[in-house]
Amino acid sequence: MTSYISLPMYSANIDERMRLIAGKCVSCGQLAFPQRPVCTKCGGDQFEDTLLSGDGSLYTYSVVAGNGAPSEFDDEQTMTGDVLCGVVELKEGPRVMVRLADMEPEELEIGMKVRAVIRRLYDQEGIVRYGTKFVPA
Amino acid sequence: MVDVAVIGVGQTRYGMFPERTLKDLFHEAAINALNDVDKGLDPAAVEEAFIGTLSTGGAQLGNFAPLMMEAAGMVGASARHIENACASSGFAMRDAVAAIASGRARIAVAGGIEKMSDLPREKNRLWLGISGDVEWERLAGTNFAGIYAMMARRHMHEYGTKKKHITMAAVKNRNNALANPKAQFRAPLEIDRAMKTPNLASPLSFSDACGITDGASMVILCRADMAKEFTDQPVLVVGSGGASNYVAIHDRKSMTTLEGTKRAVQQAYEMAGISADDIDFAEVHDCFAIAELLAYEDLGFCKKGTAGKYIESGATARDGKRPVNNSGGLIAKGHPIGSTGTGQIYEVVNQLRGRADTAERQLKNVRYGLTQNVGGSGAAVAVHILKAAA
Repeated sequence: MTSYISLPMYSANIDERMRLIAGKCVSCGQLAFPQRPVCTKCGGDQFEDTLLSGDGSLYTYSVVAGNGAPSEFDDEQTMTGDVLCGVVELKEGPRVMVRLADMEPEELEIGMKVRAVIRRLYDQEGIVRYGTKFVPA
Repeated sequence: MVDVAVIGVGQTRYGMFPERTLKDLFHEAAINALNDVDKGLDPAAVEEAFIGTLSTGGAQLGNFAPLMMEAAGMVGASARHIENACASSGFAMRDAVAAIASGRARIAVAGGIEKMSDLPREKNRLWLGISGDVEWERLAGTNFAGIYAMMARRHMHEYGTKKKHITMAAVKNRNNALANPKAQFRAPLEIDRAMKTPNLASPLSFSDACGITDGASMVILCRADMAKEFTDQPVLVVGSGGASNYVAIHDRKSMTTLEGTKRAVQQAYEMAGISADDIDFAEVHDCFAIAELLAYEDLGFCKKGTAGKYIESGATARDGKRPVNNSGGLIAKGHPIGSTGTGQIYEVVNQLRGRADTAERQLKNVRYGLTQNVGGSGAAVAVHILKAAA
């Protein structure tokens, strides 16, 4: 039951994660990101890959105090203490919960412009897990 | 549909009990519930059992319910495990109600249990993050404290709610628990001190969160037309609602409304033939203080966006117009995940029968009591409305 994100699970959507590929619903055009099997607007289940710009603004955020993040982040938290995370509203519409980087806790503000970069998330099973973080635009 | 009544409720004290076993805790809740049936009940008469748990870090994943029924001395009943994260036993209650309402069973039990204290800290943090949308929310580096914090931040942004309003819910609940001998945290808390506790996940501070808790609870239900065989004070289950929603908050239109709560409570109000105005008191899912404010709005106790002013008015205090979490709620009574839903029913049933454990916290002239039990950040919500039998 020790739920964690296994390598196969992580690899299955690595393109979507790293390159920010959304699914565009073939029936209604709504973008799904993260991708999902069923469109939230019309119920359609056919999607076309669409590249997102990686530009967005901060919709909400939190400074999670040391040892408040899942245990995969222990090494990082030992060094940095707080973990900054938030929900970014992408320019194209979808929202996604993400790690924030290159900013101080007091700089965070709803509405601030951010952009996606590839960064190291954590190590597990001897393998570095890279992912998308958002930094000030 | 057959009308459903509660004839007995039991609950252990909530707290940290490293010396006790799962079986021992569940046994206590079951014996407590059986002894609460005034005219007695043969445990062998229980036909259906629904046991809620998040499986205590994986200690006992398979056949959880039959094992607990052994500990309860109720071997033989058709038993199964119900899992909906922190709403596990709210849904166990809903299924037990359905088993009787459908005519399939005459007597059923709903129970819940969790033992969180035995887990090492890193395993607890691993485990407490598994009820979100794991692939996305976990990688953002947050557990539920951070997720509720982001909801709180939106509520403050959209409606001008202050951090102080949020913490007022925690302070009220901590002080309510002083009179509850079964509550985990029984130390007074003042708003000034609470506001100064360290950051947990901004804007939430340590005082705004529930803790790590062990505990178990059980509710015994039967057909309402049989209830007088067992007690002169049955409590009727007049409303039951359940709903689900997108698990990750980024997939929801609004982060300041739990659509699952609105949908579940609407079903419960319709079934009971009443509205929010008729609810005299409630036990709501305050895993983090902001969740109580959202519940006020989603249950219809106050208008959208006004929860801050509503708590400030004192309406939900013990001596207010509609007391909320008079038990101390999850924040102070405790939140042993799988036990929370049936533990709320335990509280409401005792209040409606005039049997609160201390006179100080017995509510006067209460007719309808409501429970709201939330899984994760609103992915699953169960609501029940109970009424003292005339």
